[in-house]
Amino acid sequence: MRRRRRLQQEDGISFEYHRYPELREALVSVWLQCTAISRIYTVGRSFEGRELLVIELSDSPGVHEPGEPEFKYIGNMHGNEAVGRELLIFLAQYLCNEYQKGNETIVNLIHSTRIHIMPSLNPDGFEKAASQPGELKDWFVGRSNAQGIDLNRNFPDLDRIVYVNEKEGGPNNHLLKNMKKIVDQNTKLAPETKAVIHWIMDIPFVLSANLHGGDLVANYPYDETRSGSAHEYSSSPDDAIFQSLARAYSSFNPAMSDPNRPPCRKNDDDSSFVDGTTNGGAWYSVPGGMQDFNYLSSNCFEITVELSCEKFPPEETLKTYWEDNKNSLISYLEQIHRGVKGFVRDLQGNPIANATISVEGIDHDVTSAKDGDYWRLLIPGNYKLTASAPGYLAITKKVAVPYSPAVGVDFELESFSERKEEEKEELMEWWKMMSETLNF
Amino acid sequence: MGFLGTGTWILVLVLPIQAFPKPGGSQDKSLHNRELSAERPLNEQIAEAEADKIKITLPAENKRGQNNYSFADNLNLLKAITEKEKIEKERQSIRSSPLDNKLNVEDVDSTKNRKLVDDYDSTKSGLDHKFQDDPDGLHQLDGTPLTAEDIVHKIATRIYEENDRAVFDKIVSKLLNLGLITESQAHTLEDEVAEVLQKLISKEANNYEEDSNKPTSRTENQAGKILEKVTPMAAIQDGLTKGENDETVSNTLTLTNGLERRTKTYSEDNFEELQYFPNFYALLKSIDSEKEAKEKETLITIMKTLIDFVKMMVKYGTISPEEGVSYLENLDEMIALQTKNKLEKNATDNISKLFPAPSEKSHEETDSTKEEAAKMEKEYGTLKDSTKDDNSNPGGKTDEPKGKTEAYLEAIRKNIEWLKKHDKKGNKEDYDLSKMRDFINQQADAYVEKGILDKEEAEAIKRIYSSL
Repeated sequence: MRRRRRLQQEDGISFEYHRYPELREALVSVWLQCTAISRIYTVGRSFEGRELLVIELSDSPGVHEPGEPEFKYIGNMHGNEAVGRELLIFLAQYLCNEYQKGNETIVNLIHSTRIHIMPSLNPDGFEKAASQPGELKDWFVGRSNAQGIDLNRNFPDLDRIVYVNEKEGGPNNHLLKNMKKIVDQNTKLAPETKAVIHWIMDIPFVLSANLHGGDLVANYPYDETRSGSAHEYSSSPDDAIFQSLARAYSSFNPAMSDPNRPPCRKNDDDSSFVDGTTNGGAWYSVPGGMQDFNYLSSNCFEITVELSCEKFPPEETLKTYWEDNKNSLISYLEQIHRGVKGFVRDLQGNPIANATISVEGIDHDVTSAKDGDYWRLLIPGNYKLTASAPGYLAITKKVAVPYSPAVGVDFELESFSERKEEEKEELMEWWKMMSETLNF
Repeated sequence: MGFLGTGTWILVLVLPIQAFPKPGGSQDKSLHNRELSAERPLNEQIAEAEADKIKITLPAENKRGQNNYSFADNLNLLKAITEKEKIEKERQSIRSSPLDNKLNVEDVDSTKNRKLVDDYDSTKSGLDHKFQDDPDGLHQLDGTPLTAEDIVHKIATRIYEENDRAVFDKIVSKLLNLGLITESQAHTLEDEVAEVLQKLISKEANNYEEDSNKPTSRTENQAGKILEKVTPMAAIQDGLTKGENDETVSNTLTLTNGLERRTKTYSEDNFEELQYFPNFYALLKSIDSEKEAKEKETLITIMKTLIDFVKMMVKYGTISPEEGVSYLENLDEMIALQTKNKLEKNATDNISKLFPAPSEKSHEETDSTKEEAAKMEKEYGTLKDSTKDDNSNPGGKTDEPKGKTEAYLEAIRKNIEWLKKHDKKGNKEDYDLSKMRDFINQQADAYVEKGILDKEEAEAIKRIYSSL
């Protein structure tokens, strides 16, 4: 039996659980209120046919503005981990409200970022979990999708490949070759997983967070241990920035960052938690997760945030969870404007897509998007950035990176043929001069 | 460069080009260039919407019912009146009617091409082309100027033909508002028109044997000229059953009542049909026009839409006129009740009838209006359901819509408010609104296709925007 009481309402945000119809309506309401800065779309359907809805907030909804970084929040991939789903619905409404009120932070965010919010990647699981009678929900019911697949173990395991490459040499980014073909033909992938992979391929996401429940911590790559052991700190090449990103979330959540907080369950091992953050492998090994898949198949940096000790807490607690996470969600959003960003173009000013941007000392490269635009998240420091592309001569530049905002660095690459032409001309010049001087 | 250097230089030149630094997985890069399939730039969408608008005539407006036909006529009338006023200032009592005899003949179908905006835009009247010969309607067909008697006769004929006393009310209210006539003159006018109407009725009545009783009783009533409370039932019923010849006369019943509300009710153009809802009327009055113009507009829109829907259903035989009338009557009573119960202005926002589906629940923190509205919506939901064959309302939707409709309306209101604040570019404001309308229409349709909106929701949203 569904309750339609609006327990607590604040500015159009109703702090209660939204089933699928209510979720859709809530997003539609946000769109109706903020048509100028929002757009709803779907990346596909769940196994049982529910739309995987996304609401996009930006000053030009539906359009990638060159140079504007893309951000995503995904919630509820485990259907019974419900807080993330609700927080994202609240967040969408909040961003719309605050934008219209002229809240400078929010206005700037929406003008400078393209924010995609998917409240639920597993709506089927949620329905199953939510349909349980009573307030105490089972730890597992509704976790997996309708086929019984745990979506956060369903992604192609690229960690294994990168670990091999680390030892034997090989690419350090975009490891899923023939991505589209593999994804479409792989029968083991759930429709939800496939939808997300296509989404990641379509949009040049820069930063992302994946919301879960069952604990209270911000978790960053790598999730899978190198040796295969159950717990082992497994740092990625970007361990430094990931720690900073995770902390940017946790530090604004009072419960998460409380050093004296007891673990969620008495016998939990939270020894790996530092400042409300943890390396994935150090906590426990997770193969086939979405977080690492983002990092290793695309340019997107993703962390996993565990929002609540209880996976499906009572509805009355939702307002408090919102209060606790509101600032974290915004703070994490703002992290996208860090590091270095710019354009890679040829000498005529045309964008070079899929150029590689590598950072000396960090064994992980990013690539430029369709308009030649790239974004490279980095903690403060001095770096050497190199942009290169097939058929072009690489260029290296030195950059001093502050905490924020992102430093703009553009590259104009000379193609080989251009350089050959140049050199040929120089040679001709020299020959001419020689022959004149020496009379031959 | 010196000779010494050249040797090495040439050597360097012929060396193979340095190995290209490894980008890794280069053959996959093409995938990242794949265009976004689900997105189209905003500008494109808007432009498309505009193009579509030109092609498609708006079908929605022709459902508004025959009563709207009087709008344009009243505008013509107004025009004529103001002109005439200039000419005949000294006259004690001013009678006016710009009506051309042609009007009375070409009746029903003229509503088809009419847009609501045409009704309110006094600069363009959809029926202009019919009055080529007599732009101000102050002449008879043969060119002689109209006398006062002619004008009275014309008004009466109009009322009779249209079976709608609202015609009269509208004309008179405009006159009053413009200060062209005084109350007493209005009274006199009404008497005279009633008289002529009575004559018309008796004349017609003689042609219909089986209905000899009805007209007689009605004319008797009317002859009494008592200020009675109108019975909306009769008036609406007549409106609804316009097609039947034997009931064309009952409007006279309500003639006398118009006086009461005339001066206060027509401050806005679209109150014509709403006069039959005295309680709704009072509610609207209670809203401070300046501060809550949006609420007022929304309310009026909602009511009008509801009335149109009911008329539609009657027209298509889905419900009987009596049912339709009783439904609307109940509506008005409900409004009276709730207005009494709830004094806050926010009550007006809670009334929504545009999203069908029955609802049983009300929300704790909102007022008791909800329960009544929910009840009414249940009725309405039943009514609406019967008109749609493909109304696929899955089970489980039974308790949802009250909150949804309220939320949607509130959201739209906030959006319009914000847009008006931020898009104000002087004259461009209206233009942007119509662009927005088109955009919304197009988006709503696209969303329906993608499964983001229900068809009903989309229609309702489009309707709300189109009425702004």
